[in-house]
Amino acid sequence: MFKRALSSASVLVAENGNAVDGAESPQVVRAAPASVPVLSPPTELWFKRRIKLRQAFRDIWRFRELILSLAERDYRARYKQAVLGVAWAMLTPVLLVIVFTIVFTRVQRVETGGVPYVLFSYLGLIPWTFFSSSVTGGGQSIVTNMALVNKVACPREVFPLATIAITTLDSLISSAVLVILFGIEGFAPKPETLYAPLLLLVLLVYTLGVTLIVAAALVYLRDLRLVLPLVMQLGLFLTPIAYGIDVIARSRGMQLVYSFLDPVAPVVDSLRRTVLYGLAPDWQLVGMGTAGALLLLVGGYALFKRLEVGIADIA
Amino acid sequence: MQTSPEGSIRTTQIWKRFRADKRTRYLRDELGRLAERLTGQRDSDRWRWALQGIDFSVDPGSAVGLVGVNGSGKTTLLKIINQVMFPTIGRVETNGRIGALIAISAGIHPNLTGRENIMLTASFLGLSRKQAAARFDEIVAFSELEHAIDRQAKYYSMGMQGRLGFGVAAFLEPAILLVDEVLAVGDAAFQQRCLDRMRHVLSQGTTLVFVSHDLASVEATCSRTIWLSEGRVVDDGLTRDVLSAYRGSSETGGAIGVGRGGPVSIHRVAVQTPGLSSVQSNGTLEIELELESDAPYRAWVYLGVSEGTATPIFLVNPGRETLFESGRRTTIRCEIDQLPLPKGRFYLWAGVYARDRLGPELLPWQAAAQFDVYGPRLDEAPRAIVRLAPLQLTSSWTVEQSA
Repeated sequence: MFKRALSSASVLVAENGNAVDGAESPQVVRAAPASVPVLSPPTELWFKRRIKLRQAFRDIWRFRELILSLAERDYRARYKQAVLGVAWAMLTPVLLVIVFTIVFTRVQRVETGGVPYVLFSYLGLIPWTFFSSSVTGGGQSIVTNMALVNKVACPREVFPLATIAITTLDSLISSAVLVILFGIEGFAPKPETLYAPLLLLVLLVYTLGVTLIVAAALVYLRDLRLVLPLVMQLGLFLTPIAYGIDVIARSRGMQLVYSFLDPVAPVVDSLRRTVLYGLAPDWQLVGMGTAGALLLLVGGYALFKRLEVGIADIA
Repeated sequence: MQTSPEGSIRTTQIWKRFRADKRTRYLRDELGRLAERLTGQRDSDRWRWALQGIDFSVDPGSAVGLVGVNGSGKTTLLKIINQVMFPTIGRVETNGRIGALIAISAGIHPNLTGRENIMLTASFLGLSRKQAAARFDEIVAFSELEHAIDRQAKYYSMGMQGRLGFGVAAFLEPAILLVDEVLAVGDAAFQQRCLDRMRHVLSQGTTLVFVSHDLASVEATCSRTIWLSEGRVVDDGLTRDVLSAYRGSSETGGAIGVGRGGPVSIHRVAVQTPGLSSVQSNGTLEIELELESDAPYRAWVYLGVSEGTATPIFLVNPGRETLFESGRRTTIRCEIDQLPLPKGRFYLWAGVYARDRLGPELLPWQAAAQFDVYGPRLDEAPRAIVRLAPLQLTSSWTVEQSA
């Protein structure tokens, strides 16, 4: 590239009239910045991304209205075309619970310890649907919003955050079905349900971490998008949604490692313990899950911020 | 950064590079690169510097034009100022809210109505809903979208999108307004209103950075202009000076008298004011053109004077056909009385057409000579008034006052 700058600088423009050296066509010649010497970039000024946590939180807070506006926009855009409207949000978990109930009570019985299977699996499906649709939707949010990303300045995490805002709302709507199911089955949730918000917080942390990583990675590696649904389908069966955690990991040690790697598992497990069985959460497993989720969020956020710098370049 | 006043822009050594093969990457490419790196081969990355050491600062409330041929880095620079893009090297400091209009449909979402789009753009600018609602009617009135505001933006025409975009960016009272080649889509009346609006915004202390290929509107809006070429600042100064240098380079390419060949060619050109060593404003302009022809022709000769572009300020012809004989030189003299041009550098363009002006080209329209005119500077125009041509006329005035 410096060679080119040199050669264009050597083109001489005659004062009044004739002769331009080395020009094939008059249009090709540009007034070369002949006086500008060939520079080399000052490497000490190389742009570095510094992540300041306080600044990051302040930015997100400053753009809270934008997050809500984006969420609202996506919500409107989605339901403008959907016939079922809001019921769409319930469709995925309800269909899955029907399939699970048929398969795992008729074909292969799952031991639930006296709790209706419908409740058992639906309680797992709500957190799972939240996780998987956040990762799938939020992961693609930057790619689908590329037109905006390219033209307006804002912290890029607003796009995945807006998607998570929507999936949160979806999950609340599908939780209404859970209330109805409790009524139909004549089963009352136990008072330990009060632990649930704490468990859902762990789920949120984990979901945020994964979504941020996927969102940034998809910009750079577009073909990952094709792999994503496959991974999510596998995840549904690698996570104790249709069955208990002991189906996947039998020994206590295995369960601890497993909880660290897949924090959705201890969350679902302890949700069932508290809501359905009236037990305290399995603190050891939840602790491992929390550690895994936090690690992923911190690492994911750092990665996201690093990759954020180049997003507009390759759009 | 805390000390710089609202509306200022400062860039320090901005360098930006892109991949030379700019395309979407896939996982398999990355794996390939990883393999290359592991086997010790040189990374196959090739980079192209789009900006090379851009250094400038803009005071609050001033208007700066940004010109340059396509691909010279104007939009990249705007994106970096707007912090949509990050520089590879260097720093940008801006202060205050930035309203940017980069490309026409910036941030307009096709599935939302005009109303929803205004609210969304407002929240991108960091405005609350209440603040946006306060300006909503103004924006709608300015963009003339009263009848279409509740229609989805995908049914808008290009011009409507442009109007909506400009209205939103200009009315949400940013401290810095970046405008990139958007006026082109509007009709003439709208363009004038945009210029009026920019003038209004400027008078309220907003900083404006204006990118356009319409040099006349840059001249009407900006007092200072920066000329970019191949990612570098070529010139930075008073708009009129920078633009005349830019005009001189951009279309003639500095290649004067190097005609694309035709049956008729230019042998010699002289431009002067008789009896003087330089061309004078309001003096006589004498043009002497020696043409060579390879065959006999009856043809029309056209001469034009421009500031560098192929579009002349005025055009003259002898009013009758000129006879060319094969192998002989034909000298054409033309005198223009009271040359109405101000001080500056101008270009003589010439073209020869067989039979009449619609006939085939014998000498393609080209810059034949450049000349400097001495005399008064062009009168300043009020801001936002776009002058079509830089003509300097002598005029006499009387002013009477009555009770």
